[in-house]
Amino acid sequence: QCPQKWKRVFCTLCNSKKHSRDRCPSIWRVYLLKDDSKNLKEKVLPMHKLYCYNCGGKGHFGDDCTGRRSSRVPNDDGSAFSGDNLSTNLK
Amino acid sequence: TSNTDYPWILNHDHSKQKEIADWLTMEIKDFVAYISPNRQEIEIRNKTISKIRAAVRELWPDADLQVFGSYATDLYLPGSDIDCVVNSKGRDKENRNSLYSLASFLKSKELATRVEVIAKARVPIIKFVEPQSQIHIDVSFERINGLEAARLIREWLEETPGLRELVLIVKQFLHSRRLNNVHTGGLGGFSIICLVYSFLHLHPRVVSDEIDPLDNLGVLLIDFFELYGKNFGYDDVGLTVQDGHAAYIAKYDWRDLQSGRSPFTLAIQDPGDPSNNISRGSFNLRDIKKSFAGAFDLLTNRCFELDMATFKDRLGKSILGNVIKYRGKLR
Repeated sequence: QCPQKWKRVFCTLCNSKKHSRDRCPSIWRVYLLKDDSKNLKEKVLPMHKLYCYNCGGKGHFGDDCTGRRSSRVPNDDGSAFSGDNLSTNLK
Repeated sequence: TSNTDYPWILNHDHSKQKEIADWLTMEIKDFVAYISPNRQEIEIRNKTISKIRAAVRELWPDADLQVFGSYATDLYLPGSDIDCVVNSKGRDKENRNSLYSLASFLKSKELATRVEVIAKARVPIIKFVEPQSQIHIDVSFERINGLEAARLIREWLEETPGLRELVLIVKQFLHSRRLNNVHTGGLGGFSIICLVYSFLHLHPRVVSDEIDPLDNLGVLLIDFFELYGKNFGYDDVGLTVQDGHAAYIAKYDWRDLQSGRSPFTLAIQDPGDPSNNISRGSFNLRDIKKSFAGAFDLLTNRCFELDMATFKDRLGKSILGNVIKYRGKLR
């Protein structure tokens, strides 16, 4: 019999239910933005330069692919190659 | 752990950094500076090459010796071989007699010891050690693709900040796991460069021009191991760089990639020859992918651990040390 009771995992940093606060990717996934961040509002995402690591297709990132996942390693928390991994105005 | 295990952190403590990613960025720069050759080492290498070049011209006045590979692109680790090629006007030196005459000429001039002539390989070479410098040298004959690749890589290095630093770290990482030798199914130098180049040019934060990679080497290194260790669709996707433009292609659309074996192979289109897959020799992709995923776990676990620790416990610690396992002589 397992003495450990089932614990509900919850991250108070990013509200995810897939990891606890002390293992939140936001601890290390921190980018130092360029100085011209004021101009960021004028930046547009060049859609023709986006490629998908999952299907090889154009115009979206691998995390956002709607096709069957090619890699057998799970990607629960999301990776760098996601539309979510962009400044708010570019998402 | 004592400081001497990770010599690049001596007098370079970043434990007070607020962001753990910045600490890692700084440690990457320290390691790259540490393994980069000093002026004296560069002079020894240049002198050695000049001596051998002079000897080749003495033997064959119509021939010239040039360097390619990691030495020509400044992406070598301490103790790595120097790759050279002998090209001649008549382009007739790629026969067994020439191999043996150069080998014995260099021996007689006391420029070569421990000489091996590998005449039957796809690319016949002479391997030897130059006795004065103890540098290992490989010489091949009548080929220019290595020289062209070196020129292309030098262009990539100029236009891609962060490429040199990440390539050196990934090279050292694969070297420590014995996964950087193509003869045993590992990743060759050009394949490593293509993986990092493609990663840097396709990264969301780089595509959107939000970051300077040199300020973000730490998080980018983790993102690199995450992409190629966990998420990349090796079964279905290949890499290509044409005219300096990095892209993915569906393997299905790449006809020259007749995959008779398992679809789980790395496919990198040769920038100089679109019908060629430069990573076709890297048959041990399973271990390569596993090692990248392991590096991701090691690095992120270390980040979580150090993020929780007190400043006293962080003092003098290394994030990278356990991952790259550098065991070189003290510099």
